Amino acid sequence: MSPATGLTRRQIIARGGVGTAALAAGAATLSVTHASAAVPQSDADRLRRLISVEMLILYCYERILQGPLLDPRARRLIEPLPAHETAHIHALSARLTALGGTPPPPPASDKHADRDLGRRGVVGRLGQLNGEHDALHLLLAVEEVVVGAYFVALTKLADPRLVTLAVQIMASDAQHEALIGEALYPGDAQKAVPSGLVQGRQ
Amino acid sequence: MVAGDDEQGPQSAAPRRALLKQAAGGLAGLAALAVSGCGAAAKAPQQSVKHAPQPVRSGDVAVLNSLLDLERRTVAAYTAGLPLLLRPEARTARQFLDEELEHTGELLSLIKAAEGVPSARQPSYDLGHPRTPDDVLALLHGLERAQVAAYLAAIPRLSPGVVRAAVASILTSDAQHLAILRLAQGQVAAPSAFVTGRD
Repeated sequence: MSPATGLTRRQIIARGGVGTAALAAGAATLSVTHASAAVPQSDADRLRRLISVEMLILYCYERILQGPLLDPRARRLIEPLPAHETAHIHALSARLTALGGTPPPPPASDKHADRDLGRRGVVGRLGQLNGEHDALHLLLAVEEVVVGAYFVALTKLADPRLVTLAVQIMASDAQHEALIGEALYPGDAQKAVPSGLVQGRQ
Repeated sequence: MVAGDDEQGPQSAAPRRALLKQAAGGLAGLAALAVSGCGAAAKAPQQSVKHAPQPVRSGDVAVLNSLLDLERRTVAAYTAGLPLLLRPEARTARQFLDEELEHTGELLSLIKAAEGVPSARQPSYDLGHPRTPDDVLALLHGLERAQVAAYLAAIPRLSPGVVRAAVASILTSDAQHLAILRLAQGQVAAPSAFVTGRD
């Protein structure tokens, strides 16, 4: 029996009439609904949250690429990705500005970024990276948080144009996850791309 | 290459029943996550499941069925192409085939949730005449790209949001396949910041 649901696995499967991912998405939605009183209520609020997490991952990429931690192969895979994050931030910021909102600031320092990482449940810290393995695992964890943020946003976004943009960016960040996975586990797709339903970390 | 569609795939290790179990396990995990993130709600674990099921609109069945057909074509291509691939790519393709089967199962579940009827499987798919590993990779690349484009067109039309998110989780998996297939082909893995299925 699942301790979380009180249902046996057989009962859950018997409910197969309800899409399993839809159920999972429903659960994720519920977690957002109950998370705090500060849950975003409008598309503008949701865009602000997405920009905030994109700024965090951009900061992490830039800091890690500035240092000597990555070997040439990993560096080659990772180097193009910050430009993608910058493009995501620009596109989301343009939509937010059109809605009358103001984009949040990027992390001001490693200390601020590390605090944000902790708040989002990421274990690694920029100030405590010991080698490539640590650096790649930190980036992977943050990309999972980014993908999870889009997954949750998609349950709520109202404007179809924003839905399309969110899906395009979510897929891009999922590709980043796959490339970081490939850098960590070369040629091992089972580890680099372990799941057929990519929902990130909520 | 003409391949019959076998939703069980060549890997009997990943039959639909097992995939459903995996999916159910994932559900339980996410439900636990929901509960753990709910503060007071953690004391009432039934709440997640009670509130989680949301209806899939019957009007979305046609869209979901068209996506199902694309997934089945891709499953057929992986199934037929695997024997032509060399070891490292074959291992990757086997993993991707399992995941495509997972996508098929997910779409079937959503269609059933809408009380719809899944479209009949085609007896075979015309997949061209790939003869070399490069031909197979190019075929798979094209099919994954087509899937991404189709999902992207479909998702804004789906409702409610939980269904959009569920289908987006399939699209993102296909986008990952695209990136890894491009690497295997010696191409730029992620050529654009916005995944459209056009590149």
